[in-house]
Amino acid sequence: MKKSVTIGLLASLIILSTLGIGFVGAQEQITLVYWSMWNETEGQARVIQAAIEKFEAENPGVTIEAVWNGRQNQTLVRTAISGGQTIDLMDQDADQIAGGLMREGFALPLNDLLQQPALDRDEPLADVFLPGTLEMFALDGVIYQLPYIYNTVQFWYDKRVFEEVGLEIPQTWDDLLAACDALNAAGYAPIAAEGNEPGYAAFYLTEILARTKGPGWLQQAAADPTGEMWRDPAVLDAAQKTRELWDRGCIPPETLGYVWPQGQNTLAFGTAAMELVGSWLPVELQNAVDPDFQWGGFSFPAIEGGAGSTTDVYALLLAFMINKDTEHPEEAFKFLQTIMTDEIQQKFTDEAFVGVTNKYIEWNPIIADAAAAAAAATTTYGDVDGVASLYSEYLNTILYPTYMSLWHGTITPEEYVEEMATLSAQYWAEHPQS
Amino acid sequence: MRVSNRFIILLLLPATALYFLFFLVPTLQALVYSLYDWSGFGAAPVFIGLRNFRELLNDRVFWTSMGNTIGILVIGGVVIFGLAFVMTMMISSGIRGKKFFRSIIFLPNIIAVIALTTLWGYMYTPRTGLFAAVFTALGLTELARFPWLGPDTIFIAMMIAIVWAEVGFYLVLLLAGMDKIPPDFYESAKLDGASDFQQFRHITVPLLSDVISIGMVLWAIHALKIFEFPFSFTGLEPNPSSYTVAVYLYILGFGQRQPIYRLGYATAVGVMLLLAVILIVLLLRRVTRREVYQY
Repeated sequence: MKKSVTIGLLASLIILSTLGIGFVGAQEQITLVYWSMWNETEGQARVIQAAIEKFEAENPGVTIEAVWNGRQNQTLVRTAISGGQTIDLMDQDADQIAGGLMREGFALPLNDLLQQPALDRDEPLADVFLPGTLEMFALDGVIYQLPYIYNTVQFWYDKRVFEEVGLEIPQTWDDLLAACDALNAAGYAPIAAEGNEPGYAAFYLTEILARTKGPGWLQQAAADPTGEMWRDPAVLDAAQKTRELWDRGCIPPETLGYVWPQGQNTLAFGTAAMELVGSWLPVELQNAVDPDFQWGGFSFPAIEGGAGSTTDVYALLLAFMINKDTEHPEEAFKFLQTIMTDEIQQKFTDEAFVGVTNKYIEWNPIIADAAAAAAAATTTYGDVDGVASLYSEYLNTILYPTYMSLWHGTITPEEYVEEMATLSAQYWAEHPQS
Repeated sequence: MRVSNRFIILLLLPATALYFLFFLVPTLQALVYSLYDWSGFGAAPVFIGLRNFRELLNDRVFWTSMGNTIGILVIGGVVIFGLAFVMTMMISSGIRGKKFFRSIIFLPNIIAVIALTTLWGYMYTPRTGLFAAVFTALGLTELARFPWLGPDTIFIAMMIAIVWAEVGFYLVLLLAGMDKIPPDFYESAKLDGASDFQQFRHITVPLLSDVISIGMVLWAIHALKIFEFPFSFTGLEPNPSSYTVAVYLYILGFGQRQPIYRLGYATAVGVMLLLAVILIVLLLRRVTRREVYQY
């Protein structure tokens, strides 16, 4: 009797404890909150939704609540966090995160987590990334962002027009000018551009200085408190080259009147031959170009005697960031591991037509030349050589307006140099760097 | 039935409380935050006194944006009221289809600003835009390539679009005022031999003075804080030379593509804008103050 009571008690305890575990398990259902830079109907959002489904199927105890905010995501995330809302992870342009939430100390360091193996490979996740992407926005060796989409800035051109005119890909600045002359003679507008878009115009300043002085020099010039670096002969040369594009007819004069996307549309209409812009262009124009349109991309040409190389890549990355205050860093990171799997990365490039950061993935053929540039990159640099993330106010109030005056021809290259030197010194006198 | 003052005050209280809570308190808070260096997030605000305002004095983008805003206020105001007056006189002259014309001219007011700016953007496009097509058809190929949205003409191009979009509202305002003027006044004036201009000068303008005054104040407030039109008209990432004060405030405080996030400084810009609105409205009220005619 005594024995049967003991057995009965033990059995009850086992059943109760099992129920108890089950109860605790139910309590531990985790919800990760993800705020997205995409709108729900965009291709990239659809791939992320597929990643969420895959992740939830593989991790039954975890669900992801996605909020599709669009491009103002970071601003909304900041406001929500200020209001006490829990957000575990978010994504945005890596430059913008670096200058925003990351600089403000809200990003979780990822170095240790990145040593965990990739979900579908027998190697640390850190080793899956294309060279230069993961470390691009590291601070003192600490990685805070996980880049998952890779855009390159290159000349995107109409291959048929190049073939028709008999052009080779320009390797040097002089080649580019010669190509302009040939295209003009054949009745094409050589270079499409937006007339009034500082972010697009500044691709030229960034690339010319990256080729002549090497990546990182423009960033140093921007941060020079004396402004004297702007008096370097390379700046005058960059300004003269900018004007040369207009004065020589590489960029037709009516471009002054193009507001995005009117300039890039001239490529789709077949009246222009190329544009210096991100690898998103073929995707943006895919419904505007005719079905036989053949895209090609080439890196900004070398400049004779310059310190930079054509394998230095202007990279605009999109990245995830985990909130340092998340209660579930392991689960949040596991979702990022899912984003980096071959399956999901392949979906990004196949279905959303974007470049990706997983080095094992073959990019969509439409942006094959961007893939080649990314794979061969010896150095990568961010928007306006990093000025966009580090000195965004300086960029918006000094660098952009002054370069746009040069771009529009309202000041001469010599005046540009003088204005940049003077205004930079004034700016840093009023905004001392800590 | 006589309603007591207490009852009226009681009815007004909820609205007043909401106004106090959601307008006056934030306005006062903005005055305080304009004295701080604050990103609006993360690190605590740091009191810096009037430094934000001193910085504004040397901020050339701020003064460019203020110049653009004043330009919209003054040039836009003159053209909009001039056109609204002319059209009011024409529509009130007894022509047929008064309601039709009024509705057509008012129509842009009910269309989303982003649609209007897209429409005008494409009309101005060199080579392929509407104006370019018209000029090409007329054989004016140079004009067909003219960069209307280039640096020299973008402000004028935008003003034309704003005037087109806004004039209908002020037209309706003036027409409503015109309808209240007794026709006898004009008949008497005609019998006395007054010309059309004399009737306009001595009957219409004085009797519409209240409407004109309110219309000008409404325009001044609207023009000074104008945001959506210049923001969406000038491209993906507006060129700083075409900012208005409201656009600059937004870029500084909340960021477009650049993570500037200087909410304290942006608030100082907002305070300057508020002061400008108060000053200009007071000035307008003073200039347009005149005897009220009862009729």
